[in-house]
Amino acid sequence: MASDTTILDFDRVQFSYERHRPLIRDMSFFVGNGEFIGLLGANGSGKSTVLKIAGGILTAFEGRVNLWGRALGGYRNRDRAKLLSYLPQILDMNIPFTVEEIVSMGLYPYDIRPSLTEDEALGMVGLREKAGEPIRNLSGGERRRVYIAMTLLQGAGLVLMDEPLANLDIKYQVELLRLLKALRNERGITVVMALHDIHMAMQFERIILIKEGRIIGTGSPQVVLSREALREAFDVDAEVRIDEAGGTYLRC
Amino acid sequence: MLKGAMKIKLSVIAAAALAVCAASLLVGPRFISPFHMSGLEKEIVLSIRLPRMVVSVLMGLGLGASGAVLQGVLRNPLADPYILGISSGAALTAALGIIAGLSFWGIITIPLLAFAGALITGVFVGAMGWKRGGFLPERLLLAGVGLGFLFSAMLMLLMSVSSDEGLRRATLWIFGDLSIADWSVIPYGLLFIVLGFIIALYRAKALNALILGDDLSHSLGFSPGRERFILFIAVGLMTAASVSLGGMIGFIGLLVPHMGRFLVSADNRVLIPLSAAGGGALLCVADLIGRTVIPPVELPAGIITALIGAPYFLYLLRRRDVLGI
Amino acid sequence: MRVKGLCFYPRLSCGRPGFLFGAMKKAISMKLPVNQDSGASTGWRTFSPLRVIPAVLACLLAAFSSSLTIHAHAEAPRRIVSLAPSITEILFATGLGDRVVGVTTFCDYPEEARGKTRIGGMSNPSLEAVVSLRPDMVLFTTDGNPREFEEKLSRMGIRTYVFESLRIPELPGGIRNMGDALGETERFSALAARIEQRIEGLKKTGKGKQHSVLFIVWPEPLIVAGADTAVNDALNLLGARNIAAGAQGRYPKYSLEEIFHQSPDIIFIGKGEGMREISGGLLKRLSHVPAVKYGKVFYVSDRLFRLSPRAIDGVEELAHYLRGEDAVPDGPGNGE
Repeated sequence: MASDTTILDFDRVQFSYERHRPLIRDMSFFVGNGEFIGLLGANGSGKSTVLKIAGGILTAFEGRVNLWGRALGGYRNRDRAKLLSYLPQILDMNIPFTVEEIVSMGLYPYDIRPSLTEDEALGMVGLREKAGEPIRNLSGGERRRVYIAMTLLQGAGLVLMDEPLANLDIKYQVELLRLLKALRNERGITVVMALHDIHMAMQFERIILIKEGRIIGTGSPQVVLSREALREAFDVDAEVRIDEAGGTYLRC
Repeated sequence: MLKGAMKIKLSVIAAAALAVCAASLLVGPRFISPFHMSGLEKEIVLSIRLPRMVVSVLMGLGLGASGAVLQGVLRNPLADPYILGISSGAALTAALGIIAGLSFWGIITIPLLAFAGALITGVFVGAMGWKRGGFLPERLLLAGVGLGFLFSAMLMLLMSVSSDEGLRRATLWIFGDLSIADWSVIPYGLLFIVLGFIIALYRAKALNALILGDDLSHSLGFSPGRERFILFIAVGLMTAASVSLGGMIGFIGLLVPHMGRFLVSADNRVLIPLSAAGGGALLCVADLIGRTVIPPVELPAGIITALIGAPYFLYLLRRRDVLGI
Repeated sequence: MRVKGLCFYPRLSCGRPGFLFGAMKKAISMKLPVNQDSGASTGWRTFSPLRVIPAVLACLLAAFSSSLTIHAHAEAPRRIVSLAPSITEILFATGLGDRVVGVTTFCDYPEEARGKTRIGGMSNPSLEAVVSLRPDMVLFTTDGNPREFEEKLSRMGIRTYVFESLRIPELPGGIRNMGDALGETERFSALAARIEQRIEGLKKTGKGKQHSVLFIVWPEPLIVAGADTAVNDALNLLGARNIAAGAQGRYPKYSLEEIFHQSPDIIFIGKGEGMREISGGLLKRLSHVPAVKYGKVFYVSDRLFRLSPRAIDGVEELAHYLRGEDAVPDGPGNGE
């Protein structure tokens, strides 16, 4: 599915809030069109910061970040919003809007209405019948799907998601991953997702493993998640095994 | 955006608001029939009831709309236009002007001073709430509350050292009074309230996005800091102008947006005009009641708004799904 | 004779035109965390160190001073504290001015009263200031002094007297009563008799055309003198009709359009600093009302707001304008 076109390109990016404690050091990677990438790392390794820099919320103070070959900072807010969307880890529960109202906000960057309708977008995430409900009546997994429907309407080719699987039951985690993969296949979106669960990481085609703001491995999870890499990134002694049926499990 | 049911609700509310405005011209200490008016009655309608209706609608409009905007900007369901200390600033400058006996622009001197005080306070609160190229809601809120306390204390100080006469006029600005409504104050009040309202309406989408959170609004193509700044200016203009028209009238800015969310929609493209219309109608009704119940004595409209508003507000609080902004 | 606090003090409806204002002030002060003003009315029940310390000091002072003042009760008081401008004026009018040792900040008449020690305002006099003057009599009014304050003083053994008159017909009786309490029956009776005489005289002059009158205490917000006020008494005495007598409350906030309906022939406006400018806007809006149209708007002194012997001067002032109107029935703009 992944094509050769690079849509996001980090080139020796550095970032820090305070001078002497860089959060992101000398980070370079690229994201190809249609990729499904997991950004894996322990808590505090800098995953969220990477996503925020990629989303243009934070600005790298050294290095370059390019979106579709142009400097990310050179886009107008509105134009950038048509190309990428960022979904934060915590989605505030206390929002007065209905599901439909939130989904329709995906149209805000546009003056004319794109081909997709709110109803279709909600259909894709399986929430068509909840359109009129206040968002606070929905479960955590459903709420996440509402925002995904919003990004579909937003038409952004690149979706950056910060830990969408955290705090979800395993059932919803699997559902969400399936949904995103299906959307990738149907609509050709590119997904970059921060996560810290090694099992879930095995479901990605490519992962980027980071530790203390540095990339320590990138490639397919089976290759990257070696015993040594796990020890380095998570400080555990464990091993990823593949069983006869092709499933993966963690041997501690 | 507008569905059938919502359209019906909105038309009913608009019709009720218009009916209230019309009623406020005819009902008062004495009922005036629109079909056969005497000269005296015509005079009363044109020079007393009409300006008063216009002022109450304008004030309610400004307060309702800025309440809706502010609750979104601060992401706080308790916010109301007075929480930023703007009204205390207005009351303070008005009181200072009264006690110093200023009258350089004639009858509108004190309203203009109140307006200036409100704007200066707004700028001050804005400056305190500004950090890293944008407004932080918590900082704005705390700066406003802090300044509000400071100004109230200064006002109290002023009141405890000055003469009774000056104080009685100063209380106009503290407790709100529509009986001073006069054509002369309307033009500039209209200008600033309408200006603020247009800005707010124009940025209603951004406000919706801001309510989702800063990161999401950024993702939707808005710069949260800049949008908050623009909306803050809109609130400042509307609040300052409405305080200078008739003093501080409580509860409208807090209550009406919650009513609007409960009855129709939280989408600010609907909610802002709805809160404006609702605020105007509510204040108009409150004033109508205030000058009709025990004629010829008049009760301040602010008391009536609180008496009608508070029980309804408490009822809303009991409803589970209207706790948020 | 009324000694000590047996009488009922209306808490909010204190009679001066500023009563609305006093209530408002209280309402504002509630919002503030530090609240000196309402502390005065809750008195001993509020157990806050800040309030208790001065009170304890005052108690000690009182105990100390009462040991020095021996059997003051039996004699005519020599050191009097007045807690109201009206009482101060009565005391000076009866020649007792030199016995007055303390007055309120509002006591501005006669000139000598300004030289006396100030003990605070009417609604918030300082207990410490009063006690430290070692008075043998403190005079209160029902018209604006806090009732608790009188109780505190009585508890410390300081004699108090409460002047209860609120209306013009009650004034001579009130003055006589005060004289009895102060042991100066003769002087006070003489003053009361003079006042009665003048009132009788005024009653006779008042018989003429019945004017409808509005007495504006304050133009913005529009506060007028209603029933149960000295102003109303004065107008009744002079045979005029107060258009606001039917409204509820002593100093009601009046409806502007009701003035159009009632169309008074004469409007009086209480004098205050810059009242001409302040009332300008109101009068412009009332330009079709007969009183304004024919120039029968008169600015009068504030004497009627203070129930002292000078209140009678205030009545005479109104009588003067009412008579002037009689003499020139159709000529606009006299008197001003």
